[in-house]
Amino acid sequence: MPATFGLIDANSFYCSCERAFDPRLRGAPVVVLSNNDGCAVARTPEAKARGIGMGEPWHLVRFRAGCADVEFLSSNYALYGDMSRRMYEVLAARVPAVEPYSIDEMFLDLDIPVPDLMAFCRRLRDAVRREAKLPTCIGIGPTKTIAKLANAVAKASPDMDGVRDLRSPEARAALYRELPVSEVWGIGARHAARLARLGVATIAEFVALDPRLARDALTATGARLRAELLGVSCLPLALAAPTRRGLAVTRCFGRLVTSWAELREAMAAHAARAGEKLRAHGLLAGAMTVFAHTHPHNGDPWHGLQHTGRIEPTSDTRALIAEAIRMLRPLWRPGFRWFKCGVMLADLVPASLQSRMLFATRDPARSARVMAALDAVNARHGRDTLRLAATGIERSWRTRHHRLSPRYTTHAGEMLVARAW
Amino acid sequence: MAGGDGEAGYDGTNTTGFVSPAGDAIEGPIDLAAILDLRRPHRYPVRVSGDALRERGIHPGDILIADAAAAPVAGRVVIAMVFGEVLVCQIAFRRGQWWLRPAGVGRQPVPVEGEAEIWAVVAGLVRTDV
Repeated sequence: MPATFGLIDANSFYCSCERAFDPRLRGAPVVVLSNNDGCAVARTPEAKARGIGMGEPWHLVRFRAGCADVEFLSSNYALYGDMSRRMYEVLAARVPAVEPYSIDEMFLDLDIPVPDLMAFCRRLRDAVRREAKLPTCIGIGPTKTIAKLANAVAKASPDMDGVRDLRSPEARAALYRELPVSEVWGIGARHAARLARLGVATIAEFVALDPRLARDALTATGARLRAELLGVSCLPLALAAPTRRGLAVTRCFGRLVTSWAELREAMAAHAARAGEKLRAHGLLAGAMTVFAHTHPHNGDPWHGLQHTGRIEPTSDTRALIAEAIRMLRPLWRPGFRWFKCGVMLADLVPASLQSRMLFATRDPARSARVMAALDAVNARHGRDTLRLAATGIERSWRTRHHRLSPRYTTHAGEMLVARAW
Repeated sequence: MAGGDGEAGYDGTNTTGFVSPAGDAIEGPIDLAAILDLRRPHRYPVRVSGDALRERGIHPGDILIADAAAAPVAGRVVIAMVFGEVLVCQIAFRRGQWWLRPAGVGRQPVPVEGEAEIWAVVAGLVRTDV
């Protein structure tokens, strides 16, 4: 296990990806909206200063006083995914190991023989800024939990070059006395409330707690967090994502949907996407849940339908669509305006186990060939180039992305354009 | 399975009658993304509009390969973000600082500072229609 961890995270990641390619957005208030242009999921400091909260619905803030100059953008996940990859690769070329913890934050192995680790981290930030075009902050500590805390502190104080080193116990002790325990990674509102009943408000009070009390209040998590905060590393770098146990594709409709044909098409499209995800991970699904429901807040009568069933383990798009529609059909009721639907797959097993199945009704080799051909065409010519007709031709029910920026780095037709000058 | 185009058809080895003598030597088509180093995190494709740089051999519609890790060199072509616009132009070093040097007539050089920034240095060019 490394003796020194770093946590680097990109500031307002989605907004910074947009700013990397659009200089008009620099210094401007920018908000990126969730799927279906629903609510704010990323905000630049300029947008926060205008009082736009995390998760606020777009239809409530767009006409608010003082928000006329705010740039609202749909989420462009093709772009964000590629920029996250660039950030990872810039880092991986410079430190011994990188754990991509989320799309915008990565743990680093900082066991590096350099005389000045702070200076090294400042150069690391510069490299990510210059090459992956993303502004970042870095926290340094002897454990992941401390590195994460150091990162939050670096972010909150922009004057410190975006790097904060909490390796020394003295530096930590001063901070621990000031910071509320809820600032610690892994301590949510419920944990904080339980600790408050024990008279624990600051991190210093939490680490001073009797270890048995910490364990009683927060179970094993509490004991581990306490050790990590004291500088005893319990969490190693995870270099591979854990095997998935379930997988879901769910979307809100771009508009409320009333007909069976549209609901069926959407469900088929979600099942097809779920199949792509399964195959990308080399997995088969043995159980499926389908659901659909009306809008929870628009005054329509609430109606939700759901069905879970076992299926013959498969990752074949055709079989998944057939199963999803077979489950959904008997649940369908006319007269409702559907808001959201989805497919969830469970009992995932590696595809390599398929040959052992008795009484398989499909030829697995043939199915694999057809699906490989489908995926190859879509990988080469863009998602959904080749798809099953059941997933719809017009697809007018699709998620709204009215304010989508170009996929600058992943789509030949949408590259950054520069004017010859 | 290797994926790609060979999956569905004939790739030079899978003959039905005589065994292909090329069987151990199949290499697939040349990969332009590899030649242009497009998978590296600091390489970005950029499309050109306008013909101010035609004399420099850069035409509208060309795809430039911009390198964000390369250091600027006087006389090179760069991608620059200038007062909210994305430009492709030449650079010069004068009086201790970098300047964006216009190729079009009637334009004044712009010093690289504040809201005029060199974004990447142009390293390569692809023209799909000659």
